[in-house]
Amino acid sequence: MSTPNKPLIQIKDVVIGIPHKRRPTLIIVDKANFDINYGEMVGIVGESGSGKTMICRTMIGTLERRGGKILSGEVIFEGQNLATASDATWKNLRGKSIGYVPQSALAGPNPVLTIEAQLTEALRNTGDTKNIKARSKELLDLVKIRRVDTVMKQYPYQLSGGMRQRVMIACALATSPKLLIADEPTTGLDVTVQSQIMDLLKEIRSTMGTAIVLISHDLALIDEVCDRVVVMHAGATVEVGSVKELEKPRHPYTIALNSSRIDIAKPGSELVTIKGNAPSVGEWNLGCRFAERCSIVQSDCKVGVHPELIGASGTHQSACIHTELLERI
Amino acid sequence: MAEFLLEAKNVSVTFGSGSTKVEAVKNCSLTLRSGEPIGIVGESGSGKSTLARVLAGLQAPTEGEIFFNGEPVYKGSKSYTGEARRQVQMVFQDPYGSLNPQLTGLNAVAEAVRIHDKTNKDESENRALELLRRMGIAELDAIKKPRQLSGGQRQRVSVARALSANPTVLLADEPTSAIDQSAQAQLLNLFRGLLDDGLSIVLVSHDLGVIRYLTQRVYVMKDGVFVESGITEEIFNDPLEDYTKLLLASIPGDLGVAARRKLNKN
Repeated sequence: MSTPNKPLIQIKDVVIGIPHKRRPTLIIVDKANFDINYGEMVGIVGESGSGKTMICRTMIGTLERRGGKILSGEVIFEGQNLATASDATWKNLRGKSIGYVPQSALAGPNPVLTIEAQLTEALRNTGDTKNIKARSKELLDLVKIRRVDTVMKQYPYQLSGGMRQRVMIACALATSPKLLIADEPTTGLDVTVQSQIMDLLKEIRSTMGTAIVLISHDLALIDEVCDRVVVMHAGATVEVGSVKELEKPRHPYTIALNSSRIDIAKPGSELVTIKGNAPSVGEWNLGCRFAERCSIVQSDCKVGVHPELIGASGTHQSACIHTELLERI
Repeated sequence: MAEFLLEAKNVSVTFGSGSTKVEAVKNCSLTLRSGEPIGIVGESGSGKSTLARVLAGLQAPTEGEIFFNGEPVYKGSKSYTGEARRQVQMVFQDPYGSLNPQLTGLNAVAEAVRIHDKTNKDESENRALELLRRMGIAELDAIKKPRQLSGGQRQRVSVARALSANPTVLLADEPTSAIDQSAQAQLLNLFRGLLDDGLSIVLVSHDLGVIRYLTQRVYVMKDGVFVESGITEEIFNDPLEDYTKLLLASIPGDLGVAARRKLNKN
């Protein structure tokens, strides 16, 4: 295990926009702030469109492929600022120190390559081209795939969704990354498969000491497997804290998210829903972007810029400026 | 009146033949009483969607029969003839694919109203607006096309369209799997309101949380067979089959904790 409580990657005041030729740049993430420590498992939650995937892309440097750009702020990975890193720098990091497991397990692996060919490609990336076949088998063992020899010769379409996602995880682990980013790795998979994949991620974390970022909108899942949680709303981090701390949330958005959870609700009782929709990109209001949907909104919530996270990094932080009113919810 | 509103008796569905033969549903029997919410739960590939399609009249069973109000549903090459046709409606899994991209929510629902009520344009639009409002879609959003709506809004348009026929049974095939948690809460609240109004709902899902929240009875399906069925609360508290136990233990969070503890004890 690596040193705990030392940040591996720090996201500082990151602003992401999509530049446009004739129209003004569209800001999609503004005020994203959080750290991920060595060997830690961090969950990022938020509604669709809250910028979860964009933050993910900043951490693997594929933002520009989608027309996005980091406008300001810093992404510091082991002392190196990645916000301004060149393609050459990224080439040495992406798929090496930083691994990535994409959202769509079913479409993830290359359909025309056998599993062996995909793993070979990932392993060549390490620069060490010896014993590739043996190492491929080791990787498949690691992600608990049985009948390794058969699977090596198979194509993705011959595998189930859970197996394909395991192969994707194996590819990401080929270079023993320090950071593994999993963007909704179990969306579309069954609950039984989901719990197996989660057990696998937990095991990887404890045996290899890999820090894992788990992006999901399933709060129950994140509660169960992660150490800390980052809550995002409309492109900003609104609350950061340990799973334990978030049991007593300090931001009205987190409280609202919790009350819409069906797993804690009594069957048949009314579910509390969050008023309205998350503000669309480009239509953010002044001040706190949750203000329009908040039940304890005050007049000073709707002025100025979106509030900063309050509290020191590493502690329970919230971007609500009226935490004293939270008892009213 | 028959005892059951909808009944499936020993239904089997087979696709293909010879070496490619797949038995998607094997000898399944199911009952639905008026005003009752029931659930069908299982993994992908367990045959629950096929069964839902059979119940909806979209897929004739290879063996067995479906009865609606005591009348057989499949007669010759037809299904749900006459009045029964509009009484059973379906909401599909994918709100992105089940709405016509060219039509606004209002037009999509008004079209369905016109087909069922045979009214003129103004009347059908008024009723469509009323239905959409009941689903929490304001006039401003009703005139938007599907691509301008969020996933949750689209799914609510789909529900409004299904309700335009004044059905007595709503078949919902994974209605919450493609939408966010907060949108899911909105949709479930709507379903609860519909149940209060006397609608019967068949909810097909792999999400046990949704099943527990909404249904009174549940059928657990595995490889085309019902492995266990009964009162939802009892099945969640005291599952008998190993497969149900495993399924419950896989739920993340507090719900699965008790089931996991029981599973580890054995």
